[in-house]
Amino acid sequence: MSGRILRALAAATALFAAGAAHAEWEPRGSLTLQIGFGAGGSTDTLGRIVAEKMEEQTGWNIVVENRPGGGGIAMFTGIANRPADASVIGLGVNMPILVNLVNRPDEIPFDLDSFTYLGTAAKAELGLFTRAEAPYDDVPGLVEHARQEGGAAIAFDAKPQELAMRYVARQEEGVEFQFLSTKGGSEITQLVLGGQAAAGFFAGEQFPFLESGELKMLASFNATRHGYAPDTPTLQEQGYDIYVDPFWFFATTAGIDDQAREALVSAIDAALSDEEVQKLVQNTLRSPVFNAGPEETEKMVKQGLDTVAQLFAQ
Amino acid sequence: MPELSVVLAGLGDAIAPGTILFVLFGVMLGQFVGAVPGIGPVMATAIAIPFTFYMEPLAAIGFLVGVNKGGLVGGAIPAVLLNTPGTPDAAATAMDGYPLAKQGKPLKATKMALFSSVTGDTFSDIVLITVSAPLAVLALRMGPVEVLGVMLLAFAVIAGLMGRSLVKGVIAVALGLLAAMVGTDPEHGTPRLIFGEFRVYDGLPLASVAIGMLAIGELLRRLSESTGAVRPAVALPEGQPRADRSVSWAEYWACRFTLARGAVIGTILGALPGIGSTAAAFMSYASARQAAREPSEFGKGSLHGIAATESANSSVMGANMIPLLTLGIPGSVSAALIISAFMIHGVQPGPFLFEQQGRLIYGLFGAMVIANLLNLLVGQVGLRLWVRVVTAPESFIFAAALLMCFVGVSLATGGLFGVGVMLAFAALAYVMTAFGLSVVVFIIAFFLGPRLEISLSQTLALLNGDPLALVNYPVALALFGLAGVTAVALARRRDTESETR
Repeated sequence: MSGRILRALAAATALFAAGAAHAEWEPRGSLTLQIGFGAGGSTDTLGRIVAEKMEEQTGWNIVVENRPGGGGIAMFTGIANRPADASVIGLGVNMPILVNLVNRPDEIPFDLDSFTYLGTAAKAELGLFTRAEAPYDDVPGLVEHARQEGGAAIAFDAKPQELAMRYVARQEEGVEFQFLSTKGGSEITQLVLGGQAAAGFFAGEQFPFLESGELKMLASFNATRHGYAPDTPTLQEQGYDIYVDPFWFFATTAGIDDQAREALVSAIDAALSDEEVQKLVQNTLRSPVFNAGPEETEKMVKQGLDTVAQLFAQ
Repeated sequence: MPELSVVLAGLGDAIAPGTILFVLFGVMLGQFVGAVPGIGPVMATAIAIPFTFYMEPLAAIGFLVGVNKGGLVGGAIPAVLLNTPGTPDAAATAMDGYPLAKQGKPLKATKMALFSSVTGDTFSDIVLITVSAPLAVLALRMGPVEVLGVMLLAFAVIAGLMGRSLVKGVIAVALGLLAAMVGTDPEHGTPRLIFGEFRVYDGLPLASVAIGMLAIGELLRRLSESTGAVRPAVALPEGQPRADRSVSWAEYWACRFTLARGAVIGTILGALPGIGSTAAAFMSYASARQAAREPSEFGKGSLHGIAATESANSSVMGANMIPLLTLGIPGSVSAALIISAFMIHGVQPGPFLFEQQGRLIYGLFGAMVIANLLNLLVGQVGLRLWVRVVTAPESFIFAAALLMCFVGVSLATGGLFGVGVMLAFAALAYVMTAFGLSVVVFIIAFFLGPRLEISLSQTLALLNGDPLALVNYPVALALFGLAGVTAVALARRRDTESETR
């Protein structure tokens, strides 16, 4: 065989190999999607809807596992300390992670650089609501009410919500809130409708009660107004410079190779772009699918750390 | 009240063959999965949810209702036959069910559990369908202070279960509360007693603790006692008279007051969100015992004991749907799982549910009633099968049950960590039993502890440092008083009983 043919063969082989590497990355065996919460909750449902569609679209074998504990801390601890082989991705919520990283960084076995960010799934629209007949329509009104009544009970289910209201109270003279810690949205509904709480935090459970006219909205606690209530200002617009922006995001171990990262990013994006998935997600979370893309997700998570630090710097 | 045509259309949907088939499938799955040691009705429902993503709404919800109701019946089966309950409610059933099974009457015991469960369930469904609105108002009136009263009452009832030594009873309660304190503290949101282990940040996994203490301990004890001789796990005498194999109408009817009391307690507590079936089952058991002519029969295989707990814990499930359907507030984890199935299909529970989705709701009511009937039918057949299964040699049965507990806990808690916790608590149960401390009392305190703490923290926030503000809560004050009286009465009764023994 002449040298020329050999060289040509070698070149062809190299080309072929490069072509193969360029082709779709595939998980070796199966891809595991871990969910940082227990079975049956909204995050679990979200993860399973996305996983089912991803499996259908990519043909990969996807295994869904629940890894509850600390609002995702337990799950992300596992993911951060895995080999970077892109075989396990996690779905979690930013807030509990950030709260713990701010408060006890030494105890948390990872930091925000321990992950490759793959995208967001949705933002939670968090707001403060009260009974329709309450004599106040916004946060300054509630503050005034609390001042006159010697207090107002606020129902919440996550620490940042309480801290945001404590921040509000500190900006004012002689205002005190009582904080009713609860196990979740349904308990808050009960406390607000039953009149035990002057106001409560909701991220979706309020819709039927807004429609029936039993609840009204005092403020959006996100950085922006809510899509369904463009006329209700944010807490920042009402003069209190603080916000809480919870969102769901996908991440895997830091340092996975670029092709795997790209394949995962586009698989997640394709599943989230599916109409059926968008409908199911909207029904489950009561906010629309929102994928910020990998770079923006990383930025959002890291910026969130400053906001949360500001909440706790009190 | 929606128009009659809507009601009829809904009921018509429910008796469509497709719906009935899904309900039947749900009931069978629920009974089967519920009867596997280590997996209870809640777990069964959670596992079933992903199957319903792409189903028709009524079929999906009927299926889940079937799984849930089937799971209630199934959950009692391992408790009664093997003394390996997976939940505290089932532990209450085991207190009388297992002694009866041990007397060679496993079919009678499981049938009584089935009939009582279906009776309680049907009662609360009827309440749900007919008079849910006033009960929903009650649910809204019961604020944190009143719920604290109910929790204290539930703890008072534990006094009646403590056995002879008050000190040991109090130690068991204290240990249970200590275990309940692991995890995030509701007042300040800081982790407590977690020793750097973030997997217990939300508290010790309930399934691990319950199954570890109630089932694994018992299984290991029985396995260690096996001598090598081939013995059936449950002895079923040949040519058993019919009276020992079934529950006669007279026997059922004799329990009518116990059943009714259990159903009422379960329905009221079930209509109040967040209290749960554990409190109902034990309150019903304690009150049945209190009312009994022969309280010493309890714990030795009394049909009343089975009737009291099963009717109460099953009626809780139907009643949990009351705040869910009328107010949009799920009363329990199972109800929350069913709500999530509603929501996936775009049905938003809330005040307008009956107006906007009347047909679906009456379809659901129809499906619930059908599920009760099917539960009875499937149960009649299934129980024979399960009783037959456990007459296999005990080395097979206990080993298989042990494996199932591992699998169930690993599924419920997301991995081997939960299994480790389960084994640790099985060891604790062994030590506690050796020292004569009641494991059941520990478990009740552990399950009720978090709700007690949250109600207490909310109450303190509402009172805002002023104990005199309690006079604004007359219902709560009455409940506090009742709790005090109950504790003293039950403790005294225990003293007199132990003296006469």
